[in-house]
Amino acid sequence: MILTLLDELLLFSGVTLLVALTIGRGLAAGWMVTILYGGQLLALTKMAALGYEGGTIASSLSFEVMGQMLNWRFDALSWFFALITLGSALLSSWFSCGAWERDYIKQGGNIWLFHTAMALNVFTMLILLASGDLLSLFIGWELVSWAGFLLMALAGGVATKAAMRYITYAMAGGMAVFGGLALVYSASGSLQLEAVITAVEQISTTKLWLLVILFGGGFGIKMGLLPFHLWQAPAYAETPGPGSAFLGAISSRMGLFAILLVLVKLFGIVNIDNLKVPFTLIDARDLLAWLAVLTIILPTFTAMKQNDARHLLAWHGIGQGGYMLLGIVVADAMGGAGGLLHVFNHATYQAALFMAVTAVIYRTGTSDLNKLGGLVVRMPLSFMVLLIGIIGLAGLPPMNGFVSKWLVYRSLLNQGMPLLFLAAVIGTLGTILSVYKLIHNIFLGQLRVEHEHVAEAPWSMMIPMLILSAIIFITGLMPGIPLEWIASVLQTVGLPVPQYTLGGVESNSGSLDMIWVIGVLFAGFGIGAVIFYSAGRSKRVHQLDNYAGGHFLSADVRYQYSDNFYAGLMHLIGGWYRGSFLWLERSITSMIEFLSLGMQGLYRRANAEFYLLSTALFVIAWAVI
Amino acid sequence: MNAYLVLTIALPLLGAFLLPILMRSSIAIALWSGPAILIYGCWTIADIWLQGSTQPISIAIGGFAPPLGINLYIDSLALLFAFAVQLLGLIFWPFTLDQDSARRQSLMLLLVAASTGLALSGDLFNLYVFYELAAVATFGLASASGSSAAYVATLRYLILSGIGSVLTLFGIALIYSKTGTLNLAHLAQLAPAQLNDELGLTAFLSILIGIGVKAELFPVNTWVPEIYATASTRLSAFLAGLLSKLALLIILRLLLLIFHQPEAAQVLLILGILGVVSGELAAWRAKELRRMLAFSSIGQLGVMFIAMALPDGAGVLAVLALAIHHLIIKSGLFMLAEDWGGAIQRLRGSAKMAPLGAALFVLFSLSLVGMPPLPGFWAKFTLITELAGQSEPLYLIGLAVFLLATVIEASYLFRVAAILYQDAPRETLDHEIPKNEGLSLVTATLFGAGLIAAAVMIAPVGDSLNTIAVQVQDIDLYISTVNPGGSQ
Repeated sequence: MILTLLDELLLFSGVTLLVALTIGRGLAAGWMVTILYGGQLLALTKMAALGYEGGTIASSLSFEVMGQMLNWRFDALSWFFALITLGSALLSSWFSCGAWERDYIKQGGNIWLFHTAMALNVFTMLILLASGDLLSLFIGWELVSWAGFLLMALAGGVATKAAMRYITYAMAGGMAVFGGLALVYSASGSLQLEAVITAVEQISTTKLWLLVILFGGGFGIKMGLLPFHLWQAPAYAETPGPGSAFLGAISSRMGLFAILLVLVKLFGIVNIDNLKVPFTLIDARDLLAWLAVLTIILPTFTAMKQNDARHLLAWHGIGQGGYMLLGIVVADAMGGAGGLLHVFNHATYQAALFMAVTAVIYRTGTSDLNKLGGLVVRMPLSFMVLLIGIIGLAGLPPMNGFVSKWLVYRSLLNQGMPLLFLAAVIGTLGTILSVYKLIHNIFLGQLRVEHEHVAEAPWSMMIPMLILSAIIFITGLMPGIPLEWIASVLQTVGLPVPQYTLGGVESNSGSLDMIWVIGVLFAGFGIGAVIFYSAGRSKRVHQLDNYAGGHFLSADVRYQYSDNFYAGLMHLIGGWYRGSFLWLERSITSMIEFLSLGMQGLYRRANAEFYLLSTALFVIAWAVI
Repeated sequence: MNAYLVLTIALPLLGAFLLPILMRSSIAIALWSGPAILIYGCWTIADIWLQGSTQPISIAIGGFAPPLGINLYIDSLALLFAFAVQLLGLIFWPFTLDQDSARRQSLMLLLVAASTGLALSGDLFNLYVFYELAAVATFGLASASGSSAAYVATLRYLILSGIGSVLTLFGIALIYSKTGTLNLAHLAQLAPAQLNDELGLTAFLSILIGIGVKAELFPVNTWVPEIYATASTRLSAFLAGLLSKLALLIILRLLLLIFHQPEAAQVLLILGILGVVSGELAAWRAKELRRMLAFSSIGQLGVMFIAMALPDGAGVLAVLALAIHHLIIKSGLFMLAEDWGGAIQRLRGSAKMAPLGAALFVLFSLSLVGMPPLPGFWAKFTLITELAGQSEPLYLIGLAVFLLATVIEASYLFRVAAILYQDAPRETLDHEIPKNEGLSLVTATLFGAGLIAAAVMIAPVGDSLNTIAVQVQDIDLYISTVNPGGSQ
């Protein structure tokens, strides 16, 4: 049997898992696993033709079980997502080696379980990405769900609670997909992709609606799509540092991958566009678009209220997922490209941000935004990484997040969807406000006394962060690099492809060339620098060798406020936070609780014979009449 | 050669009656004779299996040809279950040395004999006799733990089971009064003409509710949580794992051979859905592992009833796959529960003390909620594809209920798993944390290994189950094999 390139990759990934399982307790285990992730990435680059030219590479692995063919293959879509998966796995794992790992063990963490869970996540994600039919897609989907559960739960305590909540949501999503799968099977008689594409053409509108709801909802749960978003932020935030960087970067994007494969590629965006919501002017596609926009706005503003840096970032992760879906649902050349580009960009800055926050936790022991401040003088490189990350997250030039958001905005304007555009801009506003809170409360203002002797993060953590920062900037400067892969992806899923250049996109309705944008921006910075340095030498003083408002400052006087940040804004919009989804979730739980109580009561009753006789009487009467 | 198969019923029966007497003369012989009988039974059945004859056979007892005489009907399905009975009888054998165990061992042999009879019998009368025999044996075994809670539970079970038997007998009497025969093959011949009316339906429903007591059919399953929580776990494992499946098997045979009325399927479907809803919801709040498993077992049996309700035998494969899967899982889970009795909250920290037990619990739970590629997934997959193909809306409701119940099931099972992996409360001493060890852990490991083996060899396992399902659906084969009335 000749191994194909895909076989090699999957084998490599399996070996990584095995290595983590067997020698995960050893000292060099982290480095070993990291090197193996590098090897997987190399194996993936051997398949780079997929990303540049398209086509498919099949795995020689295939089964027939109970009359179902199972097969696995890679195309441009899988390759693009696998690239992000392996890239973030490599860097997160690198970040976890050395200093962080020792600290984790010292605090009683099980490092073997951590490495194993990471390797398992990567392996299962690759299996999911390689799925060649709907059944293997479902198998991969469930594997990824449970692997994610392991990674989220392993920290114990609060993390396990969050993971339990996650798994209930994930099971609900999985079962929705399972039901959808059964319906597709009954319509097409097969779960092979080609058969499904032909069957979709003949399917009735009601059934297609049902399928869109089942698949969209099922996959949407993994993405944290509203109203199924509550689980995500706590689950990701409470995972051990590098784990949350990895999960935040890629995990929920698996939902987007599945949506691209099933809703866009198999069902076709046109078919979804034809599904009208009765008695209204909107259709299923508008519905998805509005859900995406709500997913942008609500979690972003929830993020603003968080006082834990990790939770703040995780809530943003949900919101940013909305931009991706929005772009893809708009489905023109710009929107599709923007949505997919945002997948890549989000992975880079989100991983960098989580790592920077983890570095701060490593040094100070807290991620509470009210207990930090002024760290810029102690951890300047981490500050730089966080700054680059939040510029990317907020979608401002010169970082990569700007390009993808610009593309999505542009497509909304081009397609004449001003309301969606407005809503997306409100979301961005919330992002800017809350990321300012993040950087201000950690790095700016007054350094606390207890952090007087804090040092910069160790190099084992710094290098992956710097690499990510470099990627964020370079792909912001030259978005043409990822856009080339994205063009193949768009072609694979049947969406229009934009005209791209190294610096951005060209189009009649407005082009973007980041090389020019950044050139102008840096020219401005240059002028500023000239003015700054021509003003003569400045004198640095200790922060307490200073005065404010006519008083000398001492360590016990706080002149930076972080508690109740944005008090004025909250005064205005505070009333809008109703916690409605939380209320909904709780009411469903209590309803099940109540029903459960009733059912237990049913079984606890002593007069069982009564049930038997009455049932017998009832059914016999029913039969005779 | 095949006539030796009769011995798999006769020997345990003989043993059951001789054991108390043997015990008085030599404890050693008495101790070993039970397992020896069961090993012989396993070997006999395995031998037939290995001969490779897949054709069903009928053995007339006492030289009288059916329909006058009674017969055993042996096809792949019957063999499979007979083998399971002997094997599980061996696995759950009460290996204790005290005087009290003599009674328990002979009751166990009686239970095995009756259960094997249930799997192999070819006529309704014998089925009824064996059914009663099995019931008597379980009453004795359930109350053997001696606690007053066990007595109360057993009494309740006894009353319910007794009324169930009367109902079954009533149904059988109806059939006999109409057709004048109780041989299944003969009935299968006569049914389309004579039993396809309200009388036939009434007969079926009476038998269904009567036998449903053992098959944990809603709402005649109220004995289940109490018995499983108070009887010995080995017995609970045997009851939940096997005896419920045998009752299910009888109903399946009757449904396929005799009762083709759509109303029959409809009742099964509704009761199945109610069983799933009530069982899984009740399990969600259970504070005790064994009770939780009992409720979950009710839910799972409900799923099998839903599968059985599929028209034209479309669900036979799903029923078989679900039944065998559940047999393995629940037996394993009950074995784990043996040392994990009491409140679930007490189990905190168990994973550290018994890592293998906790890992097995996770494995069984994953398969039970149907995570691919474990066998539970394939069983559920066969069911939902069949359900989704039905046009009747009630089946789609069944599908939706089944999927929602799975979510609830995952939620409560993994709540337990999370507790197992939590750190123990600080003031707890190591020896206070329940850990599973010894025979029960070995047994559970055995079931876990079986599960993993099935997952690896899922393709051949699926194919052979499919062959069995096809054979079971072939009514003409059943009739021609037994050939009632000789050269008719």
